[in-house]
Amino acid sequence: MNIDLQQQIIDSTQLLFDTMLMMPLTPGIALSEKVYNFQSSISGMLGFAGEVQGMLTIHCPQDVAFAITSALIGIDIDEVDADVKDTVGEMANMILGGIKDGFTEQGVEINLAVPTILAGRSYRVSGMDDALWITVPFYLDEGEFLVELKLKAPK
Amino acid sequence: MDLLENIKEATKEIFETMIMLDITAGDPLAESVTSFKCSVSGVIGLAGTCQGMLAIHTPDSVAKAITSSFLGMDVEEIDDDVTDAIGELANMLAGNIKMVLDAAGKDVTISIPSCIHGDEYSMDCVADSEWVVVPFSIEAGKFLVELQIKNGCQ
Repeated sequence: MNIDLQQQIIDSTQLLFDTMLMMPLTPGIALSEKVYNFQSSISGMLGFAGEVQGMLTIHCPQDVAFAITSALIGIDIDEVDADVKDTVGEMANMILGGIKDGFTEQGVEINLAVPTILAGRSYRVSGMDDALWITVPFYLDEGEFLVELKLKAPK
Repeated sequence: MDLLENIKEATKEIFETMIMLDITAGDPLAESVTSFKCSVSGVIGLAGTCQGMLAIHTPDSVAKAITSSFLGMDVEEIDDDVTDAIGELANMLAGNIKMVLDAAGKDVTISIPSCIHGDEYSMDCVADSEWVVVPFSIEAGKFLVELQIKNGCQ
Protein backbone atom coordinates (compact mmCIF):
# COMPACT_ATOMS: atom_id res chain seq x y z
CA MET A 1 0.00 0.00 0.00
CA ASN A 2 1.48 3.25 -1.11
CA ILE A 3 -0.59 5.95 0.55
CA ASP A 4 0.68 9.11 2.23
CA LEU A 5 -1.14 8.59 5.51
CA GLN A 6 -0.07 11.85 7.05
CA GLN A 7 -1.46 13.76 4.08
CA GLN A 8 -4.69 11.75 4.24
CA ILE A 9 -5.13 12.70 7.91
CA ILE A 10 -4.38 16.37 7.22
CA ASP A 11 -6.65 16.61 4.16
CA SER A 12 -9.58 14.91 5.85
CA THR A 13 -9.28 16.89 9.11
CA GLN A 14 -8.78 20.17 7.29
CA LEU A 15 -11.87 19.55 5.16
CA LEU A 16 -13.97 18.91 8.25
CA PHE A 17 -12.86 22.15 9.91
CA ASP A 18 -13.23 24.20 6.74
CA THR A 19 -16.66 22.98 5.76
CA MET A 20 -18.46 21.89 8.94
CA LEU A 21 -16.88 23.70 11.84
CA MET A 22 -15.69 26.88 10.10
CA MET A 23 -12.72 27.14 12.42
CA PRO A 24 -9.23 28.11 11.30
CA LEU A 25 -6.99 25.09 11.75
CA THR A 26 -3.25 24.65 11.38
CA PRO A 27 -1.82 21.14 10.93
CA GLY A 28 1.51 20.38 12.58
CA ILE A 29 4.25 17.91 11.77
CA ALA A 30 3.65 14.23 12.59
CA LEU A 31 4.98 13.36 16.04
CA SER A 32 8.07 11.20 16.21
CA GLU A 33 6.98 9.57 19.49
CA LYS A 34 3.82 7.75 20.44
CA VAL A 35 1.56 9.47 22.97
CA TYR A 36 -0.14 7.17 25.48
CA ASN A 37 -1.22 9.31 28.43
CA PHE A 38 -3.96 11.91 28.48
CA GLN A 39 -5.14 14.28 31.20
CA SER A 40 -8.56 15.97 31.36
CA SER A 41 -9.18 14.94 27.80
CA ILE A 42 -11.75 13.38 25.52
CA SER A 43 -10.78 10.76 22.97
CA GLY A 44 -12.94 9.50 20.13
CA MET A 45 -11.88 6.04 18.92
CA LEU A 46 -13.13 4.40 15.77
CA GLY A 47 -11.99 1.00 14.56
CA PHE A 48 -11.88 -0.17 10.97
CA ALA A 49 -11.28 -3.43 9.20
CA GLY A 50 -11.05 -4.79 5.68
CA GLU A 51 -7.94 -4.88 3.54
CA VAL A 52 -6.17 -3.05 6.35
CA GLN A 53 -7.23 -3.05 9.98
CA GLY A 54 -6.75 -0.37 12.55
CA MET A 55 -8.06 2.48 14.63
CA LEU A 56 -8.44 6.20 14.24
CA THR A 57 -8.40 8.18 17.49
CA ILE A 58 -8.85 11.88 18.13
CA HIS A 59 -7.44 13.10 21.42
CA CYS A 60 -8.78 16.50 22.53
CA PRO A 61 -8.00 18.35 25.75
CA GLN A 62 -11.33 19.32 27.35
CA ASP A 63 -11.09 22.99 26.47
CA VAL A 64 -10.46 22.17 22.83
CA ALA A 65 -13.39 19.72 22.76
CA PHE A 66 -15.62 22.41 24.32
CA ALA A 67 -14.57 24.98 21.69
CA ILE A 68 -15.20 22.57 18.81
CA THR A 69 -18.59 21.55 20.21
CA SER A 70 -19.57 25.21 20.70
CA ALA A 71 -18.60 25.94 17.11
CA LEU A 72 -20.66 23.02 15.87
CA ILE A 73 -23.87 23.49 17.82
CA GLY A 74 -23.66 27.19 18.58
CA ILE A 75 -23.97 27.19 22.38
CA ASP A 76 -21.40 27.62 25.14
CA ILE A 77 -20.13 24.41 26.69
CA ASP A 78 -18.38 24.08 30.02
CA GLU A 79 -18.70 20.44 30.96
CA VAL A 80 -18.20 17.04 29.36
CA ASP A 81 -21.80 16.28 28.43
CA ALA A 82 -23.50 14.21 25.76
CA ASP A 83 -23.10 17.02 23.19
CA VAL A 84 -19.34 17.03 23.61
CA LYS A 85 -19.12 13.24 23.40
CA ASP A 86 -21.36 13.14 20.32
CA THR A 87 -19.26 15.83 18.66
CA VAL A 88 -15.95 14.08 19.26
CA GLY A 89 -17.43 10.77 18.11
CA GLU A 90 -18.85 12.38 15.00
CA MET A 91 -15.47 14.01 14.27
CA ALA A 92 -13.88 10.56 14.37
CA ASN A 93 -16.57 9.31 11.98
CA MET A 94 -16.07 12.16 9.54
CA ILE A 95 -12.28 12.22 9.60
CA LEU A 96 -12.05 8.46 9.13
CA GLY A 97 -14.80 8.69 6.48
CA GLY A 98 -12.59 11.07 4.52
CA ILE A 99 -9.58 8.79 4.94
CA LYS A 100 -11.68 5.83 3.81
CA ASP A 101 -12.53 7.72 0.60
CA GLY A 102 -8.82 8.36 0.06
CA PHE A 103 -8.11 4.65 0.57
CA THR A 104 -10.86 3.72 -1.87
CA GLU A 105 -9.26 5.93 -4.53
CA GLN A 106 -6.10 3.90 -4.04
CA GLY A 107 -8.01 0.63 -4.34
CA VAL A 108 -7.92 -0.21 -0.62
CA GLU A 109 -11.31 -1.03 0.88
CA ILE A 110 -12.05 -0.58 4.58
CA ASN A 111 -15.22 -0.72 6.68
CA LEU A 112 -15.82 1.39 9.77
CA ALA A 113 -16.99 0.23 13.21
CA VAL A 114 -18.86 2.57 15.60
CA PRO A 115 -17.15 5.31 17.61
CA THR A 116 -16.34 4.91 21.29
CA ILE A 117 -15.72 7.98 23.44
CA LEU A 118 -13.29 8.06 26.33
CA ALA A 119 -13.21 10.90 28.79
CA GLY A 120 -11.48 11.36 32.10
CA ARG A 121 -9.08 13.12 34.39
CA SER A 122 -6.26 10.74 33.57
CA TYR A 123 -6.13 7.71 31.32
CA ARG A 124 -3.75 5.74 29.16
CA VAL A 125 -4.55 4.29 25.75
CA SER A 126 -2.31 1.49 24.53
CA GLY A 127 -2.27 -1.44 22.16
CA MET A 128 -1.17 -2.03 18.60
CA ASP A 129 2.43 -1.15 19.34
CA ASP A 130 3.50 -3.23 16.35
CA ALA A 131 1.14 -1.37 14.01
CA LEU A 132 2.04 1.51 11.73
CA TRP A 133 1.35 4.53 13.91
CA ILE A 134 0.96 8.14 12.74
CA THR A 135 0.00 11.00 15.04
CA VAL A 136 -0.61 14.47 13.63
CA PRO A 137 -1.10 17.49 15.91
CA PHE A 138 -3.50 20.25 14.88
CA TYR A 139 -3.63 23.74 16.33
CA LEU A 140 -6.69 25.88 17.05
CA ASP A 141 -6.83 29.20 18.93
CA GLU A 142 -7.99 27.22 21.99
CA GLY A 143 -5.16 24.70 21.90
CA GLU A 144 -3.89 21.57 20.26
CA PHE A 145 -5.47 18.21 19.53
CA LEU A 146 -4.12 14.99 18.04
CA VAL A 147 -5.39 12.77 15.27
CA GLU A 148 -3.82 9.33 15.47
CA LEU A 149 -4.04 6.57 12.88
CA LYS A 150 -2.85 3.06 13.67
CA LEU A 151 -3.07 0.36 11.07
CA LYS A 152 -1.75 -2.94 9.90
CA ALA A 153 -2.37 -5.40 7.12
CA PRO A 154 -4.57 -8.32 8.18
CA LYS A 155 -3.01 -11.58 9.27
CA MET B 1 -29.88 -13.90 17.57
CA ASP B 2 -29.24 -14.13 21.26
CA LEU B 3 -26.30 -11.85 21.97
CA LEU B 4 -26.48 -12.45 25.70
CA GLU B 5 -26.16 -16.22 25.38
CA ASN B 6 -23.34 -15.81 22.86
CA ILE B 7 -21.36 -13.53 25.16
CA LYS B 8 -21.79 -15.90 28.08
CA GLU B 9 -20.66 -18.90 26.06
CA ALA B 10 -17.73 -17.13 24.42
CA THR B 11 -16.46 -15.69 27.69
CA LYS B 12 -16.79 -18.97 29.56
CA GLU B 13 -15.05 -20.89 26.83
CA ILE B 14 -12.11 -18.48 26.74
CA PHE B 15 -11.73 -18.49 30.52
CA GLU B 16 -11.95 -22.26 30.75
CA THR B 17 -9.64 -23.09 27.86
CA MET B 18 -7.18 -20.19 27.64
CA ILE B 19 -7.07 -18.38 30.96
CA MET B 20 -7.76 -21.37 33.20
CA LEU B 21 -9.92 -19.61 35.76
CA ASP B 22 -13.34 -20.64 37.07
CA ILE B 23 -15.95 -18.17 36.00
CA THR B 24 -19.63 -17.51 36.71
CA ALA B 25 -21.88 -15.39 34.51
CA GLY B 26 -24.35 -13.04 36.20
CA ASP B 27 -27.60 -11.52 34.95
CA PRO B 28 -27.24 -8.86 32.26
CA LEU B 29 -27.31 -5.31 33.58
CA ALA B 30 -30.45 -3.24 33.15
CA GLU B 31 -28.39 -0.08 32.75
CA SER B 32 -25.18 0.36 30.86
CA VAL B 33 -22.07 1.26 32.88
CA THR B 34 -19.96 4.06 31.45
CA SER B 35 -17.77 5.24 34.36
CA PHE B 36 -14.80 3.29 35.60
CA LYS B 37 -12.32 3.77 38.44
CA CYS B 38 -8.87 2.20 38.66
CA SER B 39 -9.77 -0.13 35.82
CA VAL B 40 -8.48 -1.58 32.60
CA SER B 41 -10.75 -1.73 29.54
CA GLY B 42 -10.05 -3.60 26.32
CA VAL B 43 -12.04 -2.46 23.30
CA ILE B 44 -12.29 -3.62 19.71
CA GLY B 45 -14.48 -2.56 16.80
CA LEU B 46 -16.71 -4.72 14.61
CA ALA B 47 -17.13 -3.63 10.98
CA GLY B 48 -18.69 -5.03 7.84
CA THR B 49 -22.38 -5.76 7.32
CA CYS B 50 -22.80 -5.50 11.06
CA GLN B 51 -21.10 -2.70 13.00
CA GLY B 52 -20.42 -2.39 16.66
CA MET B 53 -17.89 -2.73 19.41
CA LEU B 54 -16.96 -5.18 22.08
CA ALA B 55 -15.40 -4.11 25.37
CA ILE B 56 -14.27 -5.78 28.55
CA HIS B 57 -14.01 -3.70 31.72
CA THR B 58 -11.94 -5.06 34.61
CA PRO B 59 -10.99 -3.44 37.91
CA ASP B 60 -7.18 -3.28 38.26
CA SER B 61 -7.07 -6.22 40.71
CA VAL B 62 -9.11 -8.45 38.42
CA ALA B 63 -7.02 -7.46 35.39
CA LYS B 64 -3.89 -8.48 37.30
CA ALA B 65 -5.40 -11.83 38.32
CA ILE B 66 -6.48 -12.60 34.74
CA THR B 67 -3.06 -11.67 33.37
CA SER B 68 -1.30 -13.66 36.03
CA SER B 69 -3.26 -16.79 35.20
CA PHE B 70 -3.08 -16.20 31.44
CA LEU B 71 0.70 -15.70 31.38
CA GLY B 72 1.54 -17.95 34.31
CA MET B 73 3.51 -15.32 36.19
CA ASP B 74 3.10 -12.91 39.06
CA VAL B 75 1.81 -9.49 38.13
CA GLU B 76 2.48 -6.61 40.52
CA GLU B 77 1.27 -3.59 38.62
CA ILE B 78 -0.68 -2.57 35.54
CA ASP B 79 2.06 -2.82 32.95
CA ASP B 80 2.19 -3.66 29.25
CA ASP B 81 1.63 -7.35 30.00
CA VAL B 82 -1.69 -6.54 31.64
CA THR B 83 -2.92 -4.13 28.98
CA ASP B 84 -1.83 -6.55 26.24
CA ALA B 85 -3.63 -9.43 27.98
CA ILE B 86 -6.89 -7.49 28.37
CA GLY B 87 -6.64 -6.30 24.76
CA GLU B 88 -6.06 -9.88 23.63
CA LEU B 89 -9.03 -11.03 25.69
CA ALA B 90 -11.22 -8.48 23.86
CA ASN B 91 -9.76 -9.73 20.59
CA MET B 92 -10.58 -13.37 21.37
CA LEU B 93 -14.10 -12.51 22.49
CA ALA B 94 -14.72 -10.41 19.37
CA GLY B 95 -13.36 -13.24 17.21
CA ASN B 96 -15.84 -15.58 18.81
CA ILE B 97 -18.76 -13.17 18.36
CA LYS B 98 -17.69 -12.63 14.74
CA MET B 99 -18.01 -16.35 14.08
CA VAL B 100 -21.50 -16.37 15.58
CA LEU B 101 -22.56 -13.37 13.47
CA ASP B 102 -21.01 -14.81 10.33
CA ALA B 103 -22.82 -18.08 10.94
CA ALA B 104 -26.04 -16.05 11.10
CA GLY B 105 -25.35 -14.70 7.61
CA LYS B 106 -23.44 -11.51 8.47
CA ASP B 107 -20.04 -10.64 7.14
CA VAL B 108 -18.11 -9.13 10.04
CA THR B 109 -14.49 -8.11 10.27
CA ILE B 110 -12.85 -7.06 13.51
CA SER B 111 -10.43 -4.19 14.01
CA ILE B 112 -7.46 -4.29 16.34
CA PRO B 113 -7.83 -4.13 20.13
CA SER B 114 -6.92 -1.08 22.16
CA CYS B 115 -6.58 -0.91 25.88
CA ILE B 116 -7.52 1.90 28.23
CA HIS B 117 -6.22 2.20 31.75
CA GLY B 118 -6.90 4.97 34.21
CA ASP B 119 -7.85 6.07 37.70
CA GLU B 120 -11.07 7.59 36.49
CA TYR B 121 -12.51 7.55 32.99
CA SER B 122 -15.74 7.10 31.10
CA MET B 123 -16.42 5.13 27.95
CA ASP B 124 -19.51 5.73 25.85
CA CYS B 125 -20.66 4.31 22.58
CA VAL B 126 -22.41 7.06 20.65
CA ALA B 127 -24.03 4.98 17.95
CA ASP B 128 -27.71 4.14 18.09
CA SER B 129 -27.21 0.56 19.10
CA GLU B 130 -28.50 -2.48 20.84
CA TRP B 131 -26.29 -3.28 23.81
CA VAL B 132 -25.75 -6.07 26.26
CA VAL B 133 -23.58 -5.82 29.38
CA VAL B 134 -22.91 -9.03 31.26
CA PRO B 135 -21.15 -9.21 34.63
CA PHE B 136 -18.86 -12.16 35.30
CA SER B 137 -17.30 -13.27 38.57
CA ILE B 138 -13.96 -14.92 39.10
CA GLU B 139 -12.28 -15.49 42.44
CA ALA B 140 -10.46 -12.14 42.25
CA GLY B 141 -13.67 -10.18 41.66
CA LYS B 142 -16.11 -9.07 39.02
CA PHE B 143 -15.71 -7.74 35.51
CA LEU B 144 -18.02 -6.70 32.66
CA VAL B 145 -18.28 -7.71 29.04
CA GLU B 146 -20.11 -5.22 26.84
CA LEU B 147 -21.32 -5.74 23.29
CA GLN B 148 -22.85 -2.98 21.19
CA ILE B 149 -24.38 -3.77 17.82
CA LYS B 150 -25.62 -0.89 15.70
CA ASN B 151 -29.37 -0.92 15.17
CA GLY B 152 -30.49 -2.28 11.87
CA CYS B 153 -27.86 -5.00 11.83
CA GLN B 154 -29.94 -7.78 13.22
